[in-house]
Amino acid sequence: MIGGLFIYNHKGEVLISRVYRDDIGRNAVDAFRVNVIHARQQVRSPVTNIARTSFFHVKRSNIWLAAVTKQNVNAAMVFEFLYKMCDVMTAYFGKISEENIKNNFVLIYELLDEILDFGYPQNSETGALKTFITQQGIKGQPQTKEEQSQITSQVTGQIGWRREGIKYRRNELFLDVLESVNLLMSPQGQVLSAHVSGRVVMKSYLSGMPECKFGMNDKIVIDKQGKGGTTDDAGKSSGKQSIAIDDCTFHQCVRLSKFDSERSISFIPPDGEYELMRYRTTKDIILPFRVIPLVREVGRTKLEVKVVIKSNFKPSLLAQKIEVRIPTPLNTSGVQVICMKGKAKYKASENAIVWKIKRMAGMKESQISAEIELLPTNDKKKWARPPISMNFEVPFAPSGLKVRYLKVFESKLNYSDHDVIKWVRYIGRSGIYETRC
Amino acid sequence: MPYFGSEETVKELKRALANPHVQADRLRYKNYITKVIRYMTQGLDVSALFMDMVKASATVDIVQKKLVYLYMCTYASDKPDLALLAINTLRKDCADPNPMVRGLALRNMCNFRMPGMPEYIEQPIVAGLRDKASYVRRVAVLGCAKLHNLQPYTDMDGSIVNELYALLRDPDPVVVVNCLRALEEILKDEGGVVINKPIAHHLLNRMKDLDSWAQSEVLTFLLRYRPRSDDELFDILSLLDAFLQSAHAHVSVSTLRLFLHLAAAHPAVQADALLHTSAPLLATCGSASRELRFAGLCHVQQVMRSQPGLFGTHYKRFFCGYSEPSYIKFRKMEILVELVNDENVALVLEELRSYCTDVSPELAQAAIAAIGRIARTYSEKCLDILTGLLALKQDHITSAVIQTFRDLVWFCPQSTAAVCQTVEACVDNPQDSEGKQALLWLLGEHGEQISSAPYVVEGYIDGLKTELSSAVKMELLSASVKMFLCRPAETQDMLGRLLHYCIEEESNMCVRDRALLYYRLLQRGVEETRKAVTGPKSDPSMSVLTGRQEEPISLWASAFNTLGPLSGRDLCLQTVIISASAQPSSSAEEELLPGSKDVTLSCPNDTEEEISLSLGPPLSHETFEKMWLDLEILHRQTLGFPRPKAAADTLQAALQLVKIQTLAFTPGDTVPWKAYLYTRGTGTLILAELLQEDPEAPGTEGSLVVSVKQQPANQHTIRGFVAIIKSVFQTLNFDRL
Repeated sequence: MIGGLFIYNHKGEVLISRVYRDDIGRNAVDAFRVNVIHARQQVRSPVTNIARTSFFHVKRSNIWLAAVTKQNVNAAMVFEFLYKMCDVMTAYFGKISEENIKNNFVLIYELLDEILDFGYPQNSETGALKTFITQQGIKGQPQTKEEQSQITSQVTGQIGWRREGIKYRRNELFLDVLESVNLLMSPQGQVLSAHVSGRVVMKSYLSGMPECKFGMNDKIVIDKQGKGGTTDDAGKSSGKQSIAIDDCTFHQCVRLSKFDSERSISFIPPDGEYELMRYRTTKDIILPFRVIPLVREVGRTKLEVKVVIKSNFKPSLLAQKIEVRIPTPLNTSGVQVICMKGKAKYKASENAIVWKIKRMAGMKESQISAEIELLPTNDKKKWARPPISMNFEVPFAPSGLKVRYLKVFESKLNYSDHDVIKWVRYIGRSGIYETRC
Repeated sequence: MPYFGSEETVKELKRALANPHVQADRLRYKNYITKVIRYMTQGLDVSALFMDMVKASATVDIVQKKLVYLYMCTYASDKPDLALLAINTLRKDCADPNPMVRGLALRNMCNFRMPGMPEYIEQPIVAGLRDKASYVRRVAVLGCAKLHNLQPYTDMDGSIVNELYALLRDPDPVVVVNCLRALEEILKDEGGVVINKPIAHHLLNRMKDLDSWAQSEVLTFLLRYRPRSDDELFDILSLLDAFLQSAHAHVSVSTLRLFLHLAAAHPAVQADALLHTSAPLLATCGSASRELRFAGLCHVQQVMRSQPGLFGTHYKRFFCGYSEPSYIKFRKMEILVELVNDENVALVLEELRSYCTDVSPELAQAAIAAIGRIARTYSEKCLDILTGLLALKQDHITSAVIQTFRDLVWFCPQSTAAVCQTVEACVDNPQDSEGKQALLWLLGEHGEQISSAPYVVEGYIDGLKTELSSAVKMELLSASVKMFLCRPAETQDMLGRLLHYCIEEESNMCVRDRALLYYRLLQRGVEETRKAVTGPKSDPSMSVLTGRQEEPISLWASAFNTLGPLSGRDLCLQTVIISASAQPSSSAEEELLPGSKDVTLSCPNDTEEEISLSLGPPLSHETFEKMWLDLEILHRQTLGFPRPKAAADTLQAALQLVKIQTLAFTPGDTVPWKAYLYTRGTGTLILAELLQEDPEAPGTEGSLVVSVKQQPANQHTIRGFVAIIKSVFQTLNFDRL
């Protein structure tokens, strides 16, 4: 399977190297550096084959992670494994950066030892790993009897993702609906493609082995209830909008058979934070912002750009961290910007005007206009006009998804659904949100 | 990484580690150990510290232990005698009450790669297999595989194999999967772990408990199982149905592969499975991480080979984002071309046109070529776009457009008139040699329709001295001769100049010979030349070949979900061969590539016809011996039957019949029996060894093993050669019966 794992910084210096199998020689580390990191050209494929050895590489900020194998493996699996590894590392020490990796170097070796054995994935659930490797590094104290028995029961129990005997004084759960909305719009305002990929992330602090049931405004469920349900129920559901989910996938704890037959999502949740489901929608997306570009070429040395952004949601809501990036030609000599709101700056190194607005309420409009002076060039090359991209964060779900309920049942311990404190939060972020100009 | 003063550093560390004050202060001591590992990671040779590190392993601090073990695993093979010192500590740890310590010690003991190790680890492994903590069992099971790797074919293999088969029923899911992995490695010479009905059903029932990695692997192992009846088959499929929609792309793709494999006889089921998987596949194509997106796209391409219509309505999903890396954009464009239909053609073309002005010239050219492909069906719209692109006056775009025109004219003659008009109107000429060749071909082939053609060609002839590319010169010769045939008056003079220059002054032999050929042709008269030079101007039948075709699913299903689809269609086959012929370091890969084996087994006759062997001059024993030692084994294969008992002369004569020379062989029934053969085929020399081990030896089953060396290497010939050897021996064996 995976013969070795290497982590490099952007210069190609080895930060971590762990070889699991003999068929990967010590020179493999250097082969990757020379052929990929130091290669002048762009990366041609995320899988590079050097001397019959395949290098699967992923780049996170400035860090390269590479998995090496000599066998014909399942590529999607190796990539997902690398992401999982990143997730585990992030769970332990936050962002993956050169500094963090150097500081947590011992911890990473410990993790690598536990996650893979002889190149085979062993244990990659952060929750379970934390019983083996604590961040403090067990400081020479032999474990207590209790902890030992926990390890044994944790890995032999029927439910691999939750250990028994969890107790909380306060039973609490947090639901986060995190969505990223992607858009590609033509200059005329026609939506070329739009989709929302969302995740429901749950943080559960519940005692015992609770049985949970999760409900949302899924079209299929609502329609079914509308037909067969009581008048009262139908009245309620028609008031709310339902959404059509294109496809969704669940954490392994969700009983898929029940979802297939009755479309109900029931599960015993893992302890702590995890991703309950992932979904995608393409229909009836609420596009939080509309970008209207206007580019006019005045002669050969001047360009006039006017961009209007319109927020398209309830006036009571506030969007945050808005950033509009207007690309400028390579031969720009000077830029004058006037904007009604926020701050705008020309960043020569990025070839773009970056316009930042801290907050913006719904149903508002704002505008920026810029004059771009160009250097005359002999280069006949036409400016390719990259699209205007946008970043933002809004406190609702652009797909229209709503959490209808999350019920908790625990028959053995005496707390009921009402005793659990529940929190729901919606965050919509921009994915690739581009408008051509 | 070479370090200045690395020896100093090592010495300093050695001093520090040996310092009793440091040893007394636990934290400082650990810091120094961390430092050693850090240098090791950076590639500095710190093996000189081995003795001090072994001492550091005797500690209660688990983290320190782990670090020291990591160090020892790296350098144990360099210092086997010193590593033995650490074994006592490790063996003691294997009996620790804490399962974590037991597991850790066992794992690292198995990781030491040095001779003499097996005798120390056998006993702890066997004990570990029966440990009550599943954590230790997991480690012990994989330890068996490591042990086998270290010392293949020990007597205890048999008992371990039985124990591992029994552990397949272990309550811990990871132990179960580790058992499969270990058995696969231990039994690789016998074709890997056997999946019979009880095991298959047991695994299927446990699927839900496994983590996604294990699911993926088990699904691959299940490829080996053949259900007895249709009822059983459908039971299995309905059990697996849920996994088609798994949250993990790799699981759903693995499941799809298993579906396609199992339901090979039920096309309707296969189609249904593909339909089911299309949603997760599309989701993968839109996933947040680009590498996964790439893998998804590659697999979509595979599926489209058989079901081009499956993704038709989702064409917008394959529009490129501006910031996507080029490898994704290339794939997306390839897919878009396949998805074009009457309804979406306008939008797709509009989209592709916006890529034509991309910053990367390669991408722009690929986009233009993509439009060219679509033009074979929707020529009018595409020609407008392509003509519009010429107005941009950019070298790389012009060149690509002209090349596209050339191909277009060849495939659909009805567009010739429009293309000629455009070419005539195009003022600036391509600058790179590919583009020049395309333009010259167009001018030569359709010179009569382009009024300015002779003048353009003349321009090239005048600039001949500065032209570097010989390919352009050859094309220029052909174009001028063709033009001479249709417009002699305007061309005669410059053709004379061109031929004169090419024959008298040109240094490139190919160009000179081509010029001489045309010169002699022209000497035989214009009619003769016309007969020889002009051919069909287009070949519409070609478009049938290159057009979309629904391929049977079986064609790609065997390589699905391996590295094959990712390396591109052309490389696909190559990868398969390379991985199959790579040193047999593991058997998993051979199993993962059933296709490569099937090729050699199922159609030996075809291959036999394709390669022709010859005897050539005989080789002396000395030469053979020298070459045999020099070359590497390129191919090794177990033939699956014992050597024929026929007399030596018969064997030699039979091989001689198929032009294989026998150099030497062991006489009579001596064991092991060996024979050395050689032959020549398609320009290469093939040397081979046949080996039959003692039939009583474990793991061989008395089967004949053939090892092939070759100079120069040519996989195709090797496969043919092995197929021939096989058929000869099969015939001989048959005779005996």
